Amino acid sequence: MSERDLHLGLMFWATGTHAAGWRHPDAAADAAYDIGLIQEVSREAERAKFDFVFLGDRLASDPALQHSNPAQISRLEPYSTAMAIAAATSHIGVVVTANPTYSDPYSIARLLASLDHLSDGRAAWNLVTGADPAAAHNFGRDAHWNTSRRYDWAEETLRVVGALWDSAPEPDGSGARRIEHRGEFFSVDGPLDVARPPQGHVVVFNAGTSDRARELGARSADVVFAGPQPTLAARREYYADIKARAARYGRADHVAVLPGLTPIVAPTTAEAVALHDRLNALLVLDPEQEIGDIVRAGGIGEGHRRNLTSASEVFGVDVRGNDLAAAVPADTLAAVSEEGARRLAEITRLTRRTVDGPDRITYGDLVHATPAQLSHTVVGNPEEVADMIQEWFEEGVADGFNIYPAYVPGAVTAFTELVVPLLQQRGLFRKEYGGRTLRDHLGMAVPKR
Amino acid sequence: MTGPVLVYQLPEELLAGPAAGIVAAAGQAEDAGVHALLLGDRPAARPGRAAPPAAVVTASMLAVRTRRIGLVVDAAPAYCEPYNLARMLASLDHISGGRAGWRMAAGPDPEADANHHREDYDPAGAREARTVEFPPLLRDLWDTWEDGAFVHEKDTGRFIDPDRVHVLDHVGPTLQVRGPLNLARPPQGHPVMLAPAGEPLLAAEADVLVTGAPERAVAADRPLLGTVTPFVAETAERARELHAAAGAPPSDEGNAVLTGDPVQVAGQLAAWADRTPLDGFVLRLPLPGSAEAFTDLVLPELRAAGHCSGAPGAGTLREQLGLARPANRIAARLATAGAKRS
Repeated sequence: MSERDLHLGLMFWATGTHAAGWRHPDAAADAAYDIGLIQEVSREAERAKFDFVFLGDRLASDPALQHSNPAQISRLEPYSTAMAIAAATSHIGVVVTANPTYSDPYSIARLLASLDHLSDGRAAWNLVTGADPAAAHNFGRDAHWNTSRRYDWAEETLRVVGALWDSAPEPDGSGARRIEHRGEFFSVDGPLDVARPPQGHVVVFNAGTSDRARELGARSADVVFAGPQPTLAARREYYADIKARAARYGRADHVAVLPGLTPIVAPTTAEAVALHDRLNALLVLDPEQEIGDIVRAGGIGEGHRRNLTSASEVFGVDVRGNDLAAAVPADTLAAVSEEGARRLAEITRLTRRTVDGPDRITYGDLVHATPAQLSHTVVGNPEEVADMIQEWFEEGVADGFNIYPAYVPGAVTAFTELVVPLLQQRGLFRKEYGGRTLRDHLGMAVPKR
Repeated sequence: MTGPVLVYQLPEELLAGPAAGIVAAAGQAEDAGVHALLLGDRPAARPGRAAPPAAVVTASMLAVRTRRIGLVVDAAPAYCEPYNLARMLASLDHISGGRAGWRMAAGPDPEADANHHREDYDPAGAREARTVEFPPLLRDLWDTWEDGAFVHEKDTGRFIDPDRVHVLDHVGPTLQVRGPLNLARPPQGHPVMLAPAGEPLLAAEADVLVTGAPERAVAADRPLLGTVTPFVAETAERARELHAAAGAPPSDEGNAVLTGDPVQVAGQLAAWADRTPLDGFVLRLPLPGSAEAFTDLVLPELRAAGHCSGAPGAGTLREQLGLARPANRIAARLATAGAKRS
């Protein structure tokens, strides 16, 4: 084993993280409500010795996203889902996304402590502040709070939640004390009613690229879940910045940076490329005449449009009216914008098709490269995927990855069976769990009161 | 239904203990034909002891560790957002395959209030109005997605039927919620709602009413449960010792304390079932061993007297209680509006 341990999480989206993943033959189309399948996928990740299963959340539903981002329409509530997973597993951590903007600190502290007890120390809290304005209307607010207010609120929530966990009784009832918190936003007497969590403090995840998000992550999070970045240089900067900020709080070794990663993996490169193409071919494109229809009310559908009109905007060349299967002429590709050129390089990396080679970039490729990407994607055979993971892990970009399966359960199986054994053979990833709690997996001690 | 509806309110000491003990007690109750478990929930510290985990979390664990028994959780509107509670109850209903219930907790609780003050919210402020506004709002939120709205058509790529999802735009005295909920309609349509029979505003919205001491039960137009705290042991003497050791709690308006050997306790329950308007009982099991004792000692007596089927029930909690699956209220309102227009 290397000095550092690689960490792997499973990002569970019932539809798969590819917008058409649910249509793949190896996908369960209705996985969102099939708790048996959710448990089985989690057990599969546990057999592969993953650190955690990660449950995202969104406090609104937008039916208009059914083709562009169906995972954002509906899901089971994360605390109950995490409990159902924990009840069917013995080691793997369960990460609940909870947004303090629409809850209160006592409820969050109590629900997470409850989950930590009944999972024997495997709970984590992914703290998000909610970038989605639509949620405000489901919670009696006329307008979405600005970033500054959301982070002020989230930081006070974190302080109160930590104080409540430290105020809680031991299981025998001893040691409880009131906290008498009187802050800017909350007044909370305490103590917490349930016993202190087995992990002391439930593990905290945080994501975000803004200054406030980075600062919160460096000071208070155990795991920073890094979103997509346009370039390797940007990813490296993000990693170094989080570590430097954490060092200022004396926590350099206590914050793991885990980017999202979508692996499209098959036994051979050609099969992986074909799988990637097949998934994209299953996408339902947005109608050309309805620009802006998906981008409504500032919802998170923004940036997810897929059609030749949007591709024309992003690449800076007019490609409307073309056959998606046709190769794009080299002179058209030579005229793309700087951002377009960056995306052409991405297309080649993913599809192996080039501007001028025997296998040429198609109009369809431009369309599929148009929406904002959820995570970094790698397409390849098991060695190629393992190489990428090793490179990022060893070169100051990542401490591990939150794995996005493009479709469920097939893509989970492909990664755990094809890639994880290679990572284990290379001494990068555990072959057995070293402990029972999520803190054990992450190598993090239980904090003192 | 054969015999009275039996709901076990599990003791806090059991629920605050190891998960294995909770699962074992639930499994025994289920195998013995108990209809539902009631998990209390009160977000305030207990002096000198640790409280059980949050009821919705324990219920989710039990949902996947049991198969048939109903799972009713307490929740107080004062400490929840309607969107959050609607999805938690709906999730429990999905995970359990239609076995979720909610008992509305409405009373004032200054200690819990003191844990839930926010800049823009005082739990004591509009408690009554908020509590009354919650139940119909939750029903509406569950109905924002019609049955079958998720079509999941792999061949066409149609994931949902947009005509079967509705914005709610609820604007009430204390709450505003736009919707739709981010969850498919629950298997039961609406999880079963239980409310105190003595609170008319809540009782009007409930599926099942819970009253106190059986002798005082007044007939109702929907299933009615009395509340009984049983101290039972092999012998009446031992039962009296248990009752005394627990501080000899008396019967009051809220519940009847029943102390005796299995024949005495079963006989009294059977008598109440026969002579009062009650359809069943919430059994407040007072001690860690009370669930096991009641199941092993009293249920066989009830069975022998024909007051308990002894067979595990089948179907959703609604079906076990003889309640119909509710029609979709939003779809009905839209149909009425459409009929008026045409």
